[in-house]
Amino acid sequence: MPDPKLLGKYEYDPVFLNARREAIIILFVWIVFFLWTVPYCYFNGYRESIDPDNLELILGMPGWIVKGVAFPWMVATLFSIGFALFYIKDDELGEAEEGADVAEDRAELHSSEQGGEA
Amino acid sequence: MNAALFVFMLYTLAVFALAYFSNQLLKSKGFLSEYFLGSRSLGVWAFALTFAATSASGGSFTGFPSLIYTYGWVLGLWIASYMVVPICTMGWLGKRLNQVARISGSITIPDVLRDRFHSRSLGLVAVLIILFFMVFNLVAQFKAGSVILKTLLEGVDIFHDAGQVMSRLAESVPFLETSQGGEYLLCLILFGVAVIFYTTYGGFHAVVWTDVMQGIVMVVGVLIMLPLAISQVGGLSKATQDMAQMIPPRTGYIQVELEAPSGENLVLNNKNWFIAPIEGGTAEQPLFDVFRLKERIEIESGKTTGTASRNEDEKQAPTEITVLKIMSPHEVSRVLENASGGEDPDFFKIQMTEFTPTDFQTTNPETGEKEDFYPVDKDGVPLKGMYVSAPGASPKSNVGFLPASIAISFFVFWAWSGAGQPSNMVRLMAFNSSATLKKSITTVAIYFSLIYFPLVIIFCCARVLMPGMEAESDRIMPAMSVTLTKNAGIHWLAGILVAAPFAAVMSTIDSFLLMMSSAIVRDIYQRNINPDASDKTVKWLSYASTLIIGLAAMYFAIDPPQFLQDIIVYTGSGLSACFLAPVVYAIYWPKCNKQGILAGMMCGLVAHLSCYVAGIYLNGSFFDPYLVFEFDPVVTGLVASFLGGLIVGNLFPPPEEAIIKKYFAKNES
Repeated sequence: MPDPKLLGKYEYDPVFLNARREAIIILFVWIVFFLWTVPYCYFNGYRESIDPDNLELILGMPGWIVKGVAFPWMVATLFSIGFALFYIKDDELGEAEEGADVAEDRAELHSSEQGGEA
Repeated sequence: MNAALFVFMLYTLAVFALAYFSNQLLKSKGFLSEYFLGSRSLGVWAFALTFAATSASGGSFTGFPSLIYTYGWVLGLWIASYMVVPICTMGWLGKRLNQVARISGSITIPDVLRDRFHSRSLGLVAVLIILFFMVFNLVAQFKAGSVILKTLLEGVDIFHDAGQVMSRLAESVPFLETSQGGEYLLCLILFGVAVIFYTTYGGFHAVVWTDVMQGIVMVVGVLIMLPLAISQVGGLSKATQDMAQMIPPRTGYIQVELEAPSGENLVLNNKNWFIAPIEGGTAEQPLFDVFRLKERIEIESGKTTGTASRNEDEKQAPTEITVLKIMSPHEVSRVLENASGGEDPDFFKIQMTEFTPTDFQTTNPETGEKEDFYPVDKDGVPLKGMYVSAPGASPKSNVGFLPASIAISFFVFWAWSGAGQPSNMVRLMAFNSSATLKKSITTVAIYFSLIYFPLVIIFCCARVLMPGMEAESDRIMPAMSVTLTKNAGIHWLAGILVAAPFAAVMSTIDSFLLMMSSAIVRDIYQRNINPDASDKTVKWLSYASTLIIGLAAMYFAIDPPQFLQDIIVYTGSGLSACFLAPVVYAIYWPKCNKQGILAGMMCGLVAHLSCYVAGIYLNGSFFDPYLVFEFDPVVTGLVASFLGGLIVGNLFPPPEEAIIKKYFAKNES
């Protein structure tokens, strides 16, 4: 967790704190679905676990694809929607400083020119 | 197929109209920010669909369907991480990257790194890496687009005639020399000029609006195909059960001897089939072997055999014809049914023949003998169920198409490689508010669910409906569109369906083109050579560089190098190995310094590249990379990049306080 103060003296930007918290959760979400899909398919979908003459079908698809991919896909989509709409904070992103960086470049260029002449 | 020509023309007109309206916007706003970033004003629909359409490249509608057709349901696992792609690619970096870019006024990714660390060299390294990867990728995308357009227009008479004219023209104009034929060249010019024109003239907004249109075309195409495919195959359960009984076809060669001499000069290609009787066939075993041609042969009138037209340096004798042999009994029956008793002009009866397989083989490095790994049980009977299980039977590899380590790699790849693409990151800098981001994640989550999983279902049905398409599997999408609409009696629909892959590749090229142009104008010229440049100079330079880069990429695509699909994979994964970790550290790690960022970029670049270079020595080809612990190079590159950045970042002191305060402290005002 971050220090209570940035460099010991400034308040952290709340947008940064919110975005970072959301990013950490998203990383865990990826891990959860990874741990659901890949091991499930590994143990149930590979050749040795399949009997082609008595294939388990769900909605016309192989059972392991439905339980290992289609179903988690539905859950992931619903979660993404819920997370995006209700959890991600509606932060103010601020006005863009268009050209601020180039202006800095320009100032730097001219100050170094003047410095060179002096 | 005139519908396709009509759709293409309609399309081009619509795209030009959008470019015109975008150009009007350019006049009223700050040029650079508008031209390269749409003035950071994208709303939900524009942002969501441009993001989705840019991610879905031409491959989603050519390579992906072809893989589903070839390997079956296992592609569900291959593509599975798309379930979390929207939230990972948009949610992980989106809000904070957008904010950081606003604080500094950045309009490109190198801009962000440069401003955040106040380091000119960092910006330059980033630009050079982007240009290095993008140059190759753009040429590959141009070729992909032309090949798709050529496939769409196949069978249109005007197009064929114009192709002939083009061939003759290409012979007389030295720089138009191509090994791809006149029709390819024509498509490249039509397609290239259209994309370059609207991108150059309209800038970011034109790209975004065409992406929106193209995104809609793609999803509508898929949603029309899905019910047609399921109903024509007799229900999905029946399709899956059929697939469970199938065994993979084999490629090999036969000696062709027609049953009766030909009455005319014949030119046969991969649309044609041979049917040969089998000695001692029984009711359970089919009475015929069925082969689909995989190359072109010519048989003169009055003769029963001919020779293959192929390069002289190939080892096979010219009378040995490469074919695909259908192995599943019930697929053989379906092919024979389609042949309607041998009356179909695409089918030819030949004498009994011996088939010599050339796929599913490896050479034993010790004995030098060929070993056959075609999947069979202990009694030598071919194994069923390959199409309904993982890893899928691969003619090239004895571990199958998707062994567990590769399945893991792809779960990492789609989510994190997508997040690490600079072309995606630029879009994250262009939305107008957090609310837009939130609604867009929702939209893209629904959008991807409607495209990717349904595609798996559609092309599993294609596997059952159209046996033998392995002979030309890149054409599976247009071929399936035509079959579905013909069977349903709605021919005109094919035009809309086949437009989907074309839309996909266009929407990828336009954004890449703009990104390279921004790298040159903004990152190299304005920020390193001449910060004093007037708005007018910058404006004309932007137009000129977009145009010139586009034309140059098109020029190299006239006679493109081989391995283009591999190049797309290499550059895509390379970019994310170089940029994901640096951008994550830049926006989420206050004390990170330029040394850490540089180390992140270089470790990613070198680790990823090393896997490929090691492939030359260990596997004999750059595009057959060495797999560290059996994982794809993208995994190795990402790990190296994150670790390298973290270690080096901790060894050096943090940047000056003012910079950290600027990007991480609460704005007091």
